[in-house]
Parts: sequence; C-alpha cells; structure tokens
Amino acid sequence: MAQEVRGDFQEALAARGVTRRDFMKYCGSVAALLGMSEMYAPQIASAIESAKKLQPTLWMAQGLCTGCTESMAQVDSPDVPTIVLDLLSVNYWETVMAAAGKQAEENVKATIEAGGYVAIIEGSIMTAFEGNALRIAGKPGIDEVVKVCKSAVAVIAVGSCAVDGGWCAGEPNPGGATGVQKFLKDQGIAVPVVNVPTCPVNPEWIVALVVDLLLVGGLDRIVKGLDDKGRPKLIFGSTIHDNCPRRGHFENGEFVENIGNAEQEAKQWCLYKIGCKGPQTYTNCPSVRWNRRASWCVESGAPCIGCGTADPVSGGPGNWFDASAPFLDRTKDVRLPGVGGVQPGVIGGVIGAAAAAGIAVHGVATAASGRFSGAPLETEKAYDRKKAAKGGDK
Amino acid sequence: MARVEIDPVTRIEGHMRVEIEVDGGVIKDAWVSGGLYRGMETILQGREPADAFYVAQRICGVCPISHGHASTMGSEEALKIKIPNNARIIRNIIEGAESLHSHILWFYTLTALDYVDVVSALSANIADTYALAEKAGTSTADFGAIQKRLKGFVEGGQLSIFTNGYWGHPAMKLPAELNLIAVAHYLEALEMQAEAAAIIAVMGGKFPHFMTSLPGGTAWIPTEEKLDDIYFRYTKVRDWITNTMIPDTLAIAPFYLEAAGYGKGVGNHLAWGVFDAPDFDPKKRTLPRGMIVDGKLALVEPDPKAIKEYIEHSWYESATGLNPADGATKAAYNGYKVEDKYSWVKAPRMNDKPMEVGPLSRMLVGYLSGVEGVKVLVDSTLKALGAEGKPEILISLLGRVAARNLEAKFIADEMGKWIGELIEAVKGGDSKFFTEATETDGAGAGLWEAPRGALGHWVNLKGGKIANYQVVTPSTWDCSPRDAKGVRGPMEEALVGAPCIDPEKPLEALRIVHSFDP
Repeated sequence: MAQEVRGDFQEALAARGVTRRDFMKYCGSVAALLGMSEMYAPQIASAIESAKKLQPTLWMAQGLCTGCTESMAQVDSPDVPTIVLDLLSVNYWETVMAAAGKQAEENVKATIEAGGYVAIIEGSIMTAFEGNALRIAGKPGIDEVVKVCKSAVAVIAVGSCAVDGGWCAGEPNPGGATGVQKFLKDQGIAVPVVNVPTCPVNPEWIVALVVDLLLVGGLDRIVKGLDDKGRPKLIFGSTIHDNCPRRGHFENGEFVENIGNAEQEAKQWCLYKIGCKGPQTYTNCPSVRWNRRASWCVESGAPCIGCGTADPVSGGPGNWFDASAPFLDRTKDVRLPGVGGVQPGVIGGVIGAAAAAGIAVHGVATAASGRFSGAPLETEKAYDRKKAAKGGDK
Repeated sequence: MARVEIDPVTRIEGHMRVEIEVDGGVIKDAWVSGGLYRGMETILQGREPADAFYVAQRICGVCPISHGHASTMGSEEALKIKIPNNARIIRNIIEGAESLHSHILWFYTLTALDYVDVVSALSANIADTYALAEKAGTSTADFGAIQKRLKGFVEGGQLSIFTNGYWGHPAMKLPAELNLIAVAHYLEALEMQAEAAAIIAVMGGKFPHFMTSLPGGTAWIPTEEKLDDIYFRYTKVRDWITNTMIPDTLAIAPFYLEAAGYGKGVGNHLAWGVFDAPDFDPKKRTLPRGMIVDGKLALVEPDPKAIKEYIEHSWYESATGLNPADGATKAAYNGYKVEDKYSWVKAPRMNDKPMEVGPLSRMLVGYLSGVEGVKVLVDSTLKALGAEGKPEILISLLGRVAARNLEAKFIADEMGKWIGELIEAVKGGDSKFFTEATETDGAGAGLWEAPRGALGHWVNLKGGKIANYQVVTPSTWDCSPRDAKGVRGPMEEALVGAPCIDPEKPLEALRIVHSFDP
C-alpha cells in the first residue's frame, strides 16, 4: 500500500479514544458488509485514511420522522464526526446543520451549482395537495426533490419511507406518500437510485455504502450489485429467518406461544407463532444487529415486523405496514416472484435452492420433522381465521 | 418593519417555518407553521392496538418510545388492562433512557450551535482552555488535538454541516476557550446519546423505534447479563451528565443571563406526568401531573375533557373545537396565508388557553408538587445564577433551556433506582410480564410525556379494531398556530418581544424556537 496516510487522522481517532485496533476491526466489518474477505481490511483502512477531497452530499428531509437521521447518529466506528468531517461534506442536513432558513437554502443552491454531489433522501415523497402535504422553503416539498435529484450523481433512498412510502403510504395513504424511485421515474428523471429499506435504516449499511461509493468500488460496482428492487444484494440477499440465532428452535418445533412468556422467552425460542416476519424479510439484521451491535428486534423477545419489506416500483407486496400487519398474526400469504402464496418455513428453501423443486422437497422435510407439532401444512389464512375464532393462540 | 422568514427551521425534528415581524431590533409578531402532513390518525383507522403501538411510534424518530408508550397506554385503558409490575418498571427505564438520549442530543447537537461559535474555538489558547475547564468543574478532553482537527477541517475549505452558520454573530457571547470546551463536548455528546439509546436497544431491540412495550406489558424478559449491560451503560451516561453536561450548562449560562428577560411565552404550563408509580396514580408519577395558569406559581389539576382543538388557521376541514376523544382529522390545503390558514398543526387549547408543555412545565409542576430531587436541583441552580428564591425567572428562554438540562440530571439519578427495583423484582421471582386482553371494546387515553412535553394518544376500539385514533403531540401544543379567537400559540407568543439584532441572521429567534425542542 503506497498511499499516503494522514497522521492527523490517527490523531483524531486517538483523541476520541478509538485505537488503531478498533479501527482495523471496523474496516474488517465494512469489508464483510461489502462482500469482501476481511483480508481487505487494510486496503479499506488505507482508503479511508487517505481520503482527501470530501464527497459533497445533500441529505434531504421529506415526509419523515427523522428516525433515519437519528439512527445514523447511533453508528460508532466511524462515528458521525468522522463521516461528516472526514468523509463527506454534508452541505445540507436539516437536523444537524448549523445554517438555517435562507443560509441553509444557499447551501443547497451552491452545492447543486458545483455539481458532483450525492443526494440522500430521507422520508417519503408527499404528493397529496399538489405536493403541499409537505412544504419546505415556501414551496411544495416535491419541488425540492426534483431540483436536488435531477443533477445528482446518485440518489440513496434511506429508510423504508424513501424507498416506497413506508408506513406513510399505509392505506388509505392520505398524504399521497410514495418512494423516491417511483416519483423520479414518473417525473422522467433518470438517475441511479439505491434503495436501503427498514424503519429506520440501519446506519451500518449506509456507512458501508458510503465507503464503497467513495473509496472501494465506486458507483458502478454498487449499481451492479443491486437486486430487482434496487437494494444492495449483499445486505438484502437472505432472509432474517435464514440467519436467525433462534432458527434451531424453529427446526425443533420450540416456539414462544405468547408475548411475555418468561419461561419460553428465557430459552430464546422461535417467535414465528407470535407473528415473526423473519421468514419473508430480507435483511442481514441478525448479523449486523442494531445500535452498535447492542441487540436487535428478535433478541429483545419481539417478533420481526417486516420493516425491511420493499416495494419501490412494482406492484407488490406494498409498503411494510400493509404487507405485514396485523403484526402479531402468523404470517399470511408470502408473495415471492413467480411462486405465489407459500408457507413460511419453506421460504429459506426457496431462496437457498432457487428452484421450484426445492419447495416440495423442503416442504416434505418440514412436515416430516414435526415442525408445527406435526400438523399438516396449512394455508396461513386458514390458520389466522381459526386463531381469530378461538380468540388467539392459547 | 421587516418581515423575516426562517424556512426551513433546522436542527429540529420535522419541518417548520417561522415568520417574524421585526421593528427596531425587536420581534413584534410571529407565525409558526408546521410543514408536514402524513395522516397517522387516518392510517391507523381499522388497525389493531398492537399495530398502533408499532406504527404510532413513527410519528417521531427522536421520541418514539413516548409515542409507543402513550399508544399502548391508550389501548390498555380502553381494554381495562392492568400491566404487571415488572412491565411498569421496564417501561420506566426505557422511557428514562430515551429522555437522557433526547436531552443530550438536544443540548449539544441541536441547540448548542445557537450559543457556541465553532469558528471562534480556533483561536482558543489551549492552556487557558484547561484552566477554564478546571474552574468550571467540567470534564477535559484532548483540546489541542480537537482544535488541530478543527483547524485542518476549516483550512480544507469544506465546512460540511458547519457551512454558513451564524459564526461571529454579535449575540454569540462565549470566550474562545469556552467555545472550544463546548465543541469538544459536542463531539462527546454524540457518543453519550448513543450510549443512552443502546439501553433502549438492549430492552427494546433497537432505537429509534422499539419493539417490546406492547399493549398488555412487555415482550422483553430481563436476564442477569442484560441487566448488567444496561446498568453499565446507564452509569456511564449518568456520570457524564453529572460531570460534563451540568457544569457546561452552569458555565455557559452566565454569558446569556439576559435570556432570563424574554421568551416567556404564554405562562400556562401543562404536564400529564411521566414514570409510573406502583399504583399508577398520575399525581404520584416521578414527574407528576399538573398545570399552572397565567404565570401564577400554583398547582391546578388538568382536565383532559377541557381540551379543544381548533383548526381556523390549520389546513383541515373537519369540525373545529373538538375534544380529542371525539376528534377528527380531514386535511384540506388551501394555500399559505398567515391571515388565514398557515399550518399543518392544529391549535389545541385547555379551557381555551394555549398551554406550554415540556421540561420547564414538568420542572415547575414537580417543584410545586414538592418532588424532592426537583426542588434541590432548581433551588441550587437558582442560587448559582444569583436568583435564589425566584423560581418565576425560570419562565423565560434561559429557564426553558436550563430546565431541560436539570431534568436530564434528575432523571439520570432516578433511573438508578428503577434499575435496582427491577433487579429486586426479578430476584424475588416475579415472572409476570404480560396481561392478555379479555375485552375488545372501549375508549381510553394514554396521557404521558415525551422528552419535549405532554403527549396524548386517544384510542377508541370496537371489535378489537381502532374506530378512532387522535394524537396531540407536544409540538401540537407548543407550535400551534393561532386559535379561533386569534390567540397565538406558545412558541409564537414566546417570540414576541424578543430581540433580533440582525434580521438577516435571526439567531435569537432560533434560540427561542429551539428552546421548545420541536
């Protein structure tokens, strides 16, 4: 590695109590997130250390709760100061920027004029009342989206609201919420869009994307690595169920039967029967975890509510609220491309085998190994109807 | 006479526009406009209570815990569920962690840049900075390295989030050394708010937006390992608030004592109260329920039935003057005109009076209710600022800022007791965490507190589904537009009479807006 290492970078890390070892460990985890061997950690470290020009970035707030910005503030290495001082020049970020009003608007204008910036969109695009469901700087919020996105190098849709409207698009969608990719397509604006769902977004993914974009693979590599919903495959390629630490209990037919069951929860049994959407939700939450790896939803005893479901442009399955609620009911139809309604528990098989034949084989194995107390496979809608009639799982 | 627009107001949660009329360096009138309509109340119609718990949190990514709890409490009251004691304690701890998180984030990340000149920190003398930190009793950092880093950053010419701030503004009063201390702690605060949030993550899966306080109790079952984890994180945050945040507040305040003279607002204060006691009596909450009216320091009992929400100046066409228990929300945008309609926020009134909510309201109610920890903190702070025995000076910009930081200290101290309480309950073998619902119909209200003030979720259930759902958030109270009689909302009123030296850079107005933590 012949790249020049900035001494002040090391000093800055040391001033915040981050050791060289912490930093290398972090670079290893970025490498893993980017689908590379951890052996690439030194190269990533060197790339971060030698970054000279900061990437101009505009972080635009649309129909949001600010939860994704909040979530970004929870990332540790590199922490927020490193991101906004050493990697990016975030010239506009409503929640944290010093400037306000007129001066804030000047920052947007100057950045657009200089060009070469990345646009990050947080929140859904609010189209109701001709875009006046959101007003920014005396204008409809959608005007800002058009203005900023049309000259951006790339757009990153951060969080489910920006991806497909999220809960804001829940029936009857009174604010006309939609995702940024669909909105730009309807406006005839061609720009690469990277979709990063979940509610809020997991900051580790955004950091990995930024490092990849700036220092490792560049935009081309990112775009090549997107799935049909515009999500990075490395992050959204397998289900929560596939990698769940409680998966063994699922295989053994050991389930938490009701919320707050201290005995079953203490054994960390499977949450499928109380509605876990892990089988149909494509994220790597079990390995990346949340809040500096402190925990994640399923570890806390609550079923996954499927907030990583994404529907940016096509016809299904809809925003995560409509797709997954009622959250505590057992999974209903799971729509997969070309498969139709499928029993959860075979989803892993579908993805793993990537063949229709796999469904039958896996399905038989499921029944034979006594999951669901040996009950025959049933359609989940029938199960939920029965459950409702009995007044819930007993 | 100059009309000044601050749009967007930055360093807040959400979207806001403030319009002020300035004459002779003084703000003469003000209009506060909420810029975003998403329609949560409409989207929740027909859903189930547990779904409302999960989704209503998404009203606010800074205080999702409070929204989750208020939603759950509304459903529990509707279905007559009494939650187990363990669940009560666990919710208090999660709620407390959110308050610490939010208050740290607010003081350092959101409002500090209204008082701290980052560019001035470049000219601080390092030895003097250490001496000043020692004198102020606040924690030190590697001030030299931080200044050097800041210098490199400024010389690089790309100022990132600091671009175009009001640096060098005549209303910025801190000496360079104190600015450098504050910048150092601005960076540390990011670490500390995340540590507080990690407590929530351990108990609730993640933050923002947690998973566990479902109607009926909690899904989180404590283990020794997890209790150890939250206690360790808690002590780190508590010690930082005690040794850094409070001394910083007391070091900065003397430079801005004039802020005790304006930004008073409407003088009506409401607190629903927060952190439940074993008998769930709202007047026995750690921060109790109560209100004060017309600036008189006397406790009055608030009546939720006396609330009316007006929409004469808001973009809705549902009936005006409805109580939230029977409220309606039908949006209808017809253009921004301050003389007519100018906000997506409704105008709630209690007995037809605008009410300020937030830490100042809670501290005043706590003080008047005789809450020991609150009294000690308030009295010692008044003494330190040379205003002994004058709690009325708290009703001001300075008081509103100080109250939030004092509350952080108060909650940090109380939280240790709750963690101890939980450890004892678990050791005692109490294994009940959840009460199943037996009913499907009823109406209830979750009246609680978010870090930024009184919060209510009104839930009406029929056949186990939501028949009506109404929310009055703290910012609905504080940032409300004028009501049917043309009476200004609390933030509007607080702006009137405040100074504005430079209408091009309305820094003082931003300070007042941020003091409400909208």
